[in-house]
Amino acid sequence: MATEGSERFDQVDWSDISRSGRFDLSINSIGMLLTTLPVALLAVYDWQFTGRRTATFEFIGLDRTLETVDFFFIFTLLLAFWYLVLPLYQHPRMTRYYWKEFKRNRPAVVSMIWLGIVFVGGIVGPLVMSAPQQELLIAYQPPVFTSVVESTPATCVGDVMNGRCYGTWQHPLGTTNAGKDVLTMIVYGMTISMQIAFITTTIVATIGITFGTLSAYSGGWVDEIMMRFVDIILSFPTFLMFLLILYIYGGGLGMFIVVFSLFAWGGTARYVRSKSLSISEEEFIKASRISGASTYQVIRGHVVPNVASSIITQLTLLIPGFLLFEAQLAFLGVGDSSVPSWGQLISAGRSDLSYAPWIVLAPGIVLFLTILAFNFLGDALLDALNPEAEAETE
Amino acid sequence: MTEPLLSVRDLKKHYPIRKGLFNRQVGAARAVDGISFDIAQGEALGLVGESGCGKSTAASSVIRLEEPTSGEVIFNGGGRESATRNPDGTHPNDVTKFDDEELMQFRRGAQMIFQDPSSSFDPRMSVGNGVGELLKVHGMSDRHRRRAIVEDLLERVGLSASDFDRYPHEFSGGQKQRIALARALVLNPDLIIADEPVSALDVSIQAEILSLINDLQDEFGLSLLFISHDMSVIRQICDRVAVMYLGEIVEIGPVEEIFTNPQHPYTEALLSSIPTPDPRASIGGIELKGTVPSPTNPPSGCRFHTRCHKVIQPDGVDIDQDDWRGVLNFREKVITGEIDIEQVRENVAAGGSGPSDSEIRAEIRREFDISETVDDADLEETLSEAMNLLLGDNAEMAGEFLSDEITTPCAETEPETTVHTPDHESACLRHEGQAAAEPNPADD
Repeated sequence: MATEGSERFDQVDWSDISRSGRFDLSINSIGMLLTTLPVALLAVYDWQFTGRRTATFEFIGLDRTLETVDFFFIFTLLLAFWYLVLPLYQHPRMTRYYWKEFKRNRPAVVSMIWLGIVFVGGIVGPLVMSAPQQELLIAYQPPVFTSVVESTPATCVGDVMNGRCYGTWQHPLGTTNAGKDVLTMIVYGMTISMQIAFITTTIVATIGITFGTLSAYSGGWVDEIMMRFVDIILSFPTFLMFLLILYIYGGGLGMFIVVFSLFAWGGTARYVRSKSLSISEEEFIKASRISGASTYQVIRGHVVPNVASSIITQLTLLIPGFLLFEAQLAFLGVGDSSVPSWGQLISAGRSDLSYAPWIVLAPGIVLFLTILAFNFLGDALLDALNPEAEAETE
Repeated sequence: MTEPLLSVRDLKKHYPIRKGLFNRQVGAARAVDGISFDIAQGEALGLVGESGCGKSTAASSVIRLEEPTSGEVIFNGGGRESATRNPDGTHPNDVTKFDDEELMQFRRGAQMIFQDPSSSFDPRMSVGNGVGELLKVHGMSDRHRRRAIVEDLLERVGLSASDFDRYPHEFSGGQKQRIALARALVLNPDLIIADEPVSALDVSIQAEILSLINDLQDEFGLSLLFISHDMSVIRQICDRVAVMYLGEIVEIGPVEEIFTNPQHPYTEALLSSIPTPDPRASIGGIELKGTVPSPTNPPSGCRFHTRCHKVIQPDGVDIDQDDWRGVLNFREKVITGEIDIEQVRENVAAGGSGPSDSEIRAEIRREFDISETVDDADLEETLSEAMNLLLGDNAEMAGEFLSDEITTPCAETEPETTVHTPDHESACLRHEGQAAAEPNPADD
């Protein structure tokens, strides 16, 4: 284009410009589509063409299998990458501003590092560490730097001195009653926790934002009915529902995630509704409307981004609830015992608490730290993303 | 006569008030109640009035941010010039009847600047994208082209091209209003509606923005509908001014004429509120007493009569104008039952001795600025009679008595529009009998 650079607003011939450009995709959406496609194909292949017991990657000679939950997890990771991480890179000024606000909160920065470890451990760990094997001979090995009475483990892997068995770096956090390495199990548990965190957040955010904005923009009796439905969702006894489904279909991790997130979006929807109502009163929404933008464009371009940044906090604070709930259910023995979650590990070690406390303590502390980290992070995000909200509450 | 760019005819915007189980409409807030004005190509029309008089509602109805209740908004810009009325009386350029396609085209012809610079930009969008959004909405999908146009425009309004990637929180109020101006300009409109664009800014910044608006208006031949409550701002920027009171335009005319020769009492009151640089001049000449009436239930007759300092006395009465105003205020308060005689009694008693009736009468007169005796025997008698009734705890009867006995023509007759000079009109009963306005003068 010859005129480029000297382009002026009063020289645009609008009759030349067609309206076809409305459907052009952003680089983020193109990337999302391109990366989702192979995952979706793999999922279809896994679902239709491989046997129930065959590993997904058998066609390239790998003995690795992906469950439905794993596919969802990959999908949510892609979502997070293209619509959360990449935009931060694309808008460096905004990112720097958020980071400046965020880093004032020291505990939150530490929390973020911890969650980063859990995240990377959860993604990479299972790829580089082989799954914990049952080895009854080396059951009850103590963690490194500690010792137990020689008679507790069947055979002591480390040194035996003065009738006490000392822990080794082979099993830094000791082993369970079945001889499984506790550290490996915690790393595998990180995957489960991250799956819970990402998938529930995606489901809750999707339903909550859609439902909330629809309700706010419909108004009238539609709004009324939708909000009463939210009341029902909020007051629904999810636990009983879960037990019922468990009884009828049997429950795995996927079932847990689906059931609990399908009944957890009520609060989010309510929050989104009130937030969208207040945002739609702002003058920039009016400005957007008189620019000729359709209601969909206004919602997609202004309402959702503004709502989303303020519900990130709420969603972050929702995750610890799920993690705790999963642990509680596992501890009660309700749920899939084949899922290597932290809760299952705690539950497995509770009968040995008196002489092998590390089996409970190690995952317990990790769980505690993770939940604490999410809470700190949520608080800091509230301050960083919503400085007004902080000012209002003070 | 050349065709006006925008011509508003009898525009009304009523907000229904609903109550009860079935949302029955029990009334309406008549925010804008039949206003008419024209804006010529390249002209700046000021719309002035106090808060709540419907200025902003008028603006958002004209630009169809809200659907007007009735009336016509005829926009002859954006390639729709010299259209004639359809045989059925509707106008092809009536904005209120535009379909989606036409409305989209109208958006390119008319844009708006808002009052509050802090909320008029999306905090999550860089200002460049915020301005460029309009181009995108109207189909310009070439990102580089959008950027080039917006950067050029940002420089034109006194910012730099590198501000494209900045976010609203990085700008001051004045800078944001410059960006708002860029946003309003980016589609190259013929008309810009500015809703109190400088009222949130410091005086020094105000002057900068106003002169920027003036320059841009001259350069691009823009028409401007400039809304403000500040007469001095209007004087700086507008060619003509329309004064609004409670949903109606009470006076419209060229700025210089309105300022030197205001015809409507309300305009006089507004003008007297402009501070003068002379320290010896008394501050504010005319003080409007009483509260602004609610648009839900506007006063009968002339809407300004409840506060007008020049309210007309009926035939045969000729007393001091301040007394007359006081008497009417007194009447109004008694009718609405807002005078608590016990309260007055206590207040007087607090001054010392037990209050006598005459002391209370004097107190009430002082309260309403009525002299010891008014110059009209009948009126004086009516007043004493009403006060007797009040003192005898017959407030309701006093109210009925007063509403029967004291009347003003202003409350009974709706004023017609009077033409003073061809371009200067006002609606006040005091001008009754002068040349009346021909019906819809610009409707040819």
